[in-house]
Amino acid sequence: MVGLTAEIIVIGAGHAGVEAACAAARMGADTLLITQSIETIGQMSCNPAIGGIGKSHLVREVDALGGIMAMAADAAGIQFRVLNASKGAAVRATRAQADRGLYRTAVRAAVERQANLRLVQQEVVNLIFEDGRVVAVETALGITYGAKTVVLTTGTFLGGIIHVGRASHAGGRAGERPATQLAARLRELGFQVGRLKTGTPPRLDGRSMELDRMTVQPSDAPLPVMSFLGTSDAHPTQKPCHITATNQHTHDIIRAAFGDSPLYGGRIEGVGPRYCPSIEDKVVRFAARASHQIFMEPEGLETHEYYPNGISTSLPFDVQLALVRSIRGCEAAHITRPGYAIEYDFLDPRGLTPWLETRRIKGLFLAGQINGTTGYEEAAAQGLLAGINAAGQVAGREPWAPSRRDAYIGVLVDDLVTQGVTEPYRMFTSRAEYRVLLREDNADARLTPKGRELGLVSDERWHVYNARQQRVSGLTGTLRKTRITPNSAPAKRIEAMSGSKITNDISAFDLLRRPEVGADQLCAGLQAMSAANDKPDALPQDWEQVKIEASYAGYIPRMEREIEQLKAREATPIPKAFNYHTISGLSAELAEKLSAHAPANLAEAARIDGMTPAALSILLVYLKRDVAA
Amino acid sequence: MRVSGSDAVRIGEAISRRKLSPRQLTRATFCDNQGEPIDDGLAVAFRASASYTGEDVVELQGHGSPVVLSMLLERCLELGARMARPGEFSERAYLNGKLDLVQAEAVADLIASGSKSMARAALRSLKGEFSRRITKLDEEIKAIRVQIEASIDFADEAEAFLDAEGVEVRLRALEAKIEAVISEATCGAALSKGLRLVLAGAPNVGKSSLLNRLVGLERAIVSAEPGTTRDILNEQTLIAGQQVELVDTAGLRSTLSEVEAEGVKRARAAIAEADVRIDLWDASRPETRGVWPPAEAGQIVIEVMNKQDLVATKDTSCLGISAKEGAGLGELSREIERQVIVAHGEPTFLARTRHLEALKHCREALAMALREHQSSNALELVAEALREAHTALAEIVGLTTTEDLLSEIFRNFCLGK
Repeated sequence: MVGLTAEIIVIGAGHAGVEAACAAARMGADTLLITQSIETIGQMSCNPAIGGIGKSHLVREVDALGGIMAMAADAAGIQFRVLNASKGAAVRATRAQADRGLYRTAVRAAVERQANLRLVQQEVVNLIFEDGRVVAVETALGITYGAKTVVLTTGTFLGGIIHVGRASHAGGRAGERPATQLAARLRELGFQVGRLKTGTPPRLDGRSMELDRMTVQPSDAPLPVMSFLGTSDAHPTQKPCHITATNQHTHDIIRAAFGDSPLYGGRIEGVGPRYCPSIEDKVVRFAARASHQIFMEPEGLETHEYYPNGISTSLPFDVQLALVRSIRGCEAAHITRPGYAIEYDFLDPRGLTPWLETRRIKGLFLAGQINGTTGYEEAAAQGLLAGINAAGQVAGREPWAPSRRDAYIGVLVDDLVTQGVTEPYRMFTSRAEYRVLLREDNADARLTPKGRELGLVSDERWHVYNARQQRVSGLTGTLRKTRITPNSAPAKRIEAMSGSKITNDISAFDLLRRPEVGADQLCAGLQAMSAANDKPDALPQDWEQVKIEASYAGYIPRMEREIEQLKAREATPIPKAFNYHTISGLSAELAEKLSAHAPANLAEAARIDGMTPAALSILLVYLKRDVAA
Repeated sequence: MRVSGSDAVRIGEAISRRKLSPRQLTRATFCDNQGEPIDDGLAVAFRASASYTGEDVVELQGHGSPVVLSMLLERCLELGARMARPGEFSERAYLNGKLDLVQAEAVADLIASGSKSMARAALRSLKGEFSRRITKLDEEIKAIRVQIEASIDFADEAEAFLDAEGVEVRLRALEAKIEAVISEATCGAALSKGLRLVLAGAPNVGKSSLLNRLVGLERAIVSAEPGTTRDILNEQTLIAGQQVELVDTAGLRSTLSEVEAEGVKRARAAIAEADVRIDLWDASRPETRGVWPPAEAGQIVIEVMNKQDLVATKDTSCLGISAKEGAGLGELSREIERQVIVAHGEPTFLARTRHLEALKHCREALAMALREHQSSNALELVAEALREAHTALAEIVGLTTTEDLLSEIFRNFCLGK
């Protein structure tokens, strides 16, 4: 039964699927988004928050490329904070607590507003191929939808099994069916399939808790903003988080129930993340700790539900209730939804190209948890990239993927496709070698021009971007030209405010490189000088931007040297069929690893563990010979 | 000494204090940064179009003692050069189209053997206590990086990863330690002497005679009585301009005397530690062949038949000599030279210079970390400087990956909301 055809089909409408579908449609591709349930488009299955350290960097990059996550977070955020505010700008990160309902509404609205994008509510059970290319998908009702490229974003639905205590059942999310047939089909097709695990805590009714006995954590002031196009007055009413903690009694309850734990009873085979352990894991691994912190996160403005972040568990319901009620402020807590652990299939991401197409089947792209990642932000970033390339392939464009020096998105996909995963992969800033260059504040400068070229960036965003760049570069130019002489009026004012001594003639820009000189102080100090008034249109945030760039200026030449080497290596492709075993001088072990990873270029080869400078030189020599031959 | 690259001529001219014209040998006094002479020698420059590597090249020819060479090397590094990687001159020549493409394999072999010899030289130069101290330093840098990276990536957790004063105190302690290691490495006391060439064989096959021949003096007591050498005898000599430690050992046999048994035990240990081994046997006693322990990984073994003057027909399956009469010694020393140069191209003083360079780089990066820590609140810049310090040390002790750091973070701290 033939339904209809489109250029691109995206399967799944979570954070990856939505970005993929919207990106493809924005690029002009006729796009079909197929989901089991249109009502759950943009659903936050885990904790109700967007951003955080490393993750908000991804969100800003998705935003700079015209994605929707940041704008949805701005529309739904009920508590905003800047993490690492006391550290430098490179590691500063925005985190938004989101109202689940508002978030879903914002995402749904963006999807419905999007031209070239149609929705279908069906369960996909099969992929259909011709000559090694995917050409159609088939749903449970036997309807076929034809397409030139397909983006698969299965989340935790692929072969999903939910565990609570000794009970388990097949499920994709609480109360939703898993994609069991599709999982079987992908195994049949010969993909390398693994199992991962994640979990959620029980949800609690706020009216049954004494929140005033917990530490209150309100939004930061001024209210942070996620999107480059966002403003803080567009945020909904703010609602604080609360902080409480487990105690020895809680831990005793958990220890006594290990026999019923699916984690410790051997019923879960999937690997869980080390950085997001269940409360059972925490109690076992850090037995000496008397207490673990819990963030009581509001689920929304129109609901009393809270998400107790920090006690993810799959213990039986009665144990969950007892452990929750042992916690300060929760003595009479009512559980609205029990916590659970979920196991699901992922496909080894080393089978992907850097633009997220499977090497096995042409035209099939994968994004999100199916690639072994965790987190909405990681999913959105991959979805966007997969959507861009699915649409690009249909339009006959060259594939595109940002490099590690351009974006956290580049770090993410490079790590995935070259290293694979052993646990659900989460972004950390420490994964980025060029961390001081890959900041939240410059995500637009790094990516928006490319986004515009790809057709992802609207006129409005392009205009905002250019205006900001012009103001900042204008101000930078002025500050470089402005000389401040010792004992002048501005010098005295700046000295008085910052405590920084001006003993020599210095440019205002160089002065700004001093950690103790704030942008606002310099701005105020220069009021007296006419030169500063050349740029009356510079906004306070532009001054901050110049300050940030000035503070990192000294690190840029060194980074650039490293990047030059990286570029040269990236520009040295390695043929797919390269036979490492015939190379004299490479150890058998290294040849084996190289064959298994099949790096696309020398830069990827350099990141394979056990690689040595000598081995790289040897590879380079052979590559040169083969290119010339 | 050869310097290649766009700055080669500038560096050559700064050292020789002469204008260097292409392809003209110039006599010069090589000077250090104070203008004090290091060596008298010849300097010659080649333009990229006519050089071995396809880049501007300067060659400095001096008198070849390791001490002078290392001073000259030091001066080049001061002027902005860096140590070539193993086989790098050939690699560059190849990549710049100066070598025939069919030579890929030869160039690759050169790089591979060079890097092996570098690794072995590193092991030699880093024996014992000194090596332990560098490893300790590496661990301490890792520990502090773990804390700093954790406090950056998990700022929202209830963990106290570090306190400001602690970081400063630890950075200062690290700086002091690396300073101590550098000054010790500079005076060289902690470093072993060089390549070890060990003579191995059954009693009375002529090991001591050969040692005397090789050193050119009567160091070991030579006697017709088997088992005369009861302990290890060491001699320093220069082979192909490299410092080589010649080691004579007690004859390998099961023995009655307790003193000699101890000698045999030590002999086996010395043989296991050898870089180059001469497995010696007596032509007149074929049973003395094959008593040697199996070669260690990477060890070079030269089998030599001594006392060939005592037999009528020569066994040609290995090198034959007569230590007593001097026959075949020229051939043997050429073979030793060949093995020492080709397979062990990296002299110890080069390895040491490499280490010193890495240690100094590490020290500078640590100083930068400290400056960043004192002057700004930008912890990520402290982290950046520490990453550089760690990478510098990786040249000696191997790379610590991000994954290693993350594993350490998750092992030490309870994270995850």
